[in-house]
Amino acid sequence: MIGYFTNIYKVSAALLEGMWVTFKWMFRPSMTVQYPHEKLTPPERFRGTLVFDKDSCTACNLCVKACPTACITLEPYVDPATNKRLAKINWYQIDFGKCNYCRLCEEACPTKPVKSVRHSHGYEWAMTDRKEMNVKWVRP
Amino acid sequence: MTTEVIKIKGADLQTEEMILNLGPQHPSTHGVLRVILKLDGEVIIAAEPEVGYLHRGTEKLAENRTYPQMLVISDRWDYLSAMSNNLVWCLAVEKLLQIKPPEKADHLRVIMVELNRIASHLVFFGTYGIDIGAYTPFLHAFREREKILDLFEEVSGARMTYNYIRIGGVMADLPADWVGKCRSFLEWMKDRFPEYDTLLTGNPIFQDRTKGIGVLSQAQAITYGVTGPNLRGSGINFDLRKDEPYCSYEKFKFDVPTGANGDCWDRYWVRIQEMKESVKIVEQALDGLPAGETNAKVPRILRPPMGETYAQIEAPRGSLGIYTISDANDKPYRVHVRAPSFINLTMLQEILVGQKVSDVVATLGSIDIVLGEVDR
Repeated sequence: MIGYFTNIYKVSAALLEGMWVTFKWMFRPSMTVQYPHEKLTPPERFRGTLVFDKDSCTACNLCVKACPTACITLEPYVDPATNKRLAKINWYQIDFGKCNYCRLCEEACPTKPVKSVRHSHGYEWAMTDRKEMNVKWVRP
Repeated sequence: MTTEVIKIKGADLQTEEMILNLGPQHPSTHGVLRVILKLDGEVIIAAEPEVGYLHRGTEKLAENRTYPQMLVISDRWDYLSAMSNNLVWCLAVEKLLQIKPPEKADHLRVIMVELNRIASHLVFFGTYGIDIGAYTPFLHAFREREKILDLFEEVSGARMTYNYIRIGGVMADLPADWVGKCRSFLEWMKDRFPEYDTLLTGNPIFQDRTKGIGVLSQAQAITYGVTGPNLRGSGINFDLRKDEPYCSYEKFKFDVPTGANGDCWDRYWVRIQEMKESVKIVEQALDGLPAGETNAKVPRILRPPMGETYAQIEAPRGSLGIYTISDANDKPYRVHVRAPSFINLTMLQEILVGQKVSDVVATLGSIDIVLGEVDR
């Protein structure tokens, strides 16, 4: 019988101690960020959505080979007069449904000083259809 | 189940066993795991874990990926400690290529892996509290984990799939003022452990629910090949960081906590102590962070010589191993992942027998599985 009451006392004391920890945190500043209203700035190396610079790309195919999910496709520009392949692209396409956001394409890209394909800091991106995930850049 | 009317013969009542499915859609199975329980009243007489709901065939995918590309896939095995997965893959490929990463890379790897161990055990701490019925510890644990993820985001650019540890070194050096932020986090973390003890560890209700439940004896643990905190909870002092050091772990001073009885409580307690040890390791690694290169010289296209290798590390869930065969091509011929969660899960069929239904979730939670790694 005594054991029964000491048990109740022990448990309630432990519960109150635990609640005291929670209570102390009640008056400290909030840890959460109310997302749509406040936004955090992503760090420098943040791997956001990929952006592509269609004018500086040399169509070297290194990003296509580096991609683990084969989500990049491109077509080099062929000069109609000489029928020779030039260091330009016709179009460049990334399937963002497959993209891993792993930065391997950016690391493989040889263009300097700014990489043709690189991660931006953008993280808000929604599509309503899977086809829209195929983003295509066409050089006129 | 037959619909025959059970004939009652005097006072000798016939009882029937009942089959109960736990999962695959159950919040306490930590993913998509199905456990088929055979019940005699409230007592479990057989338990059969059924895995494979999250199978993605990464071992097969590896045969079609180059060695650096496979790193991206490795992030997705144990998604709570992706740094460990990166590390073990890199160690395996470095063994094949016979590359030695520079000293600084070793230190950075240790820092990242140990921070990740803290983050992973914090998830265990929080979700195990929920499994038992305490919600508050979860919020406290995820607050700290958030800080670690912020550190990782700064250093690697991602919050879960880091792809930071690379073959021959790491992705990049630490950003400016990262060390300071990491130190202030460690100071913050040290003050949180007493709070965790008040919230959960010292709680008599929690102790009653875990002590003496799901006992895994030393012999059983060795027979089933259980590793990690589950093995150490049974009182066996086995830690690859001590027994087979990699990444210059022999330089750091830390203890390997072991339990005594091998019950749920010991497995929980070992993980809490491991977090404290990890804090110590990260502090030592930051103190002794050498200057210099972060990457060894690695050829642009990796073609390891013909051969096979096995690399293993002490991941948060146990010893994670990679077995690779190279046929001198740029893609591995065969990859096998020794996933600790998968092997630890097998002990469930042993330790659940004879328990009550209400202890199943407590036992399952204490094994700390990640289904991404179990099914791969």
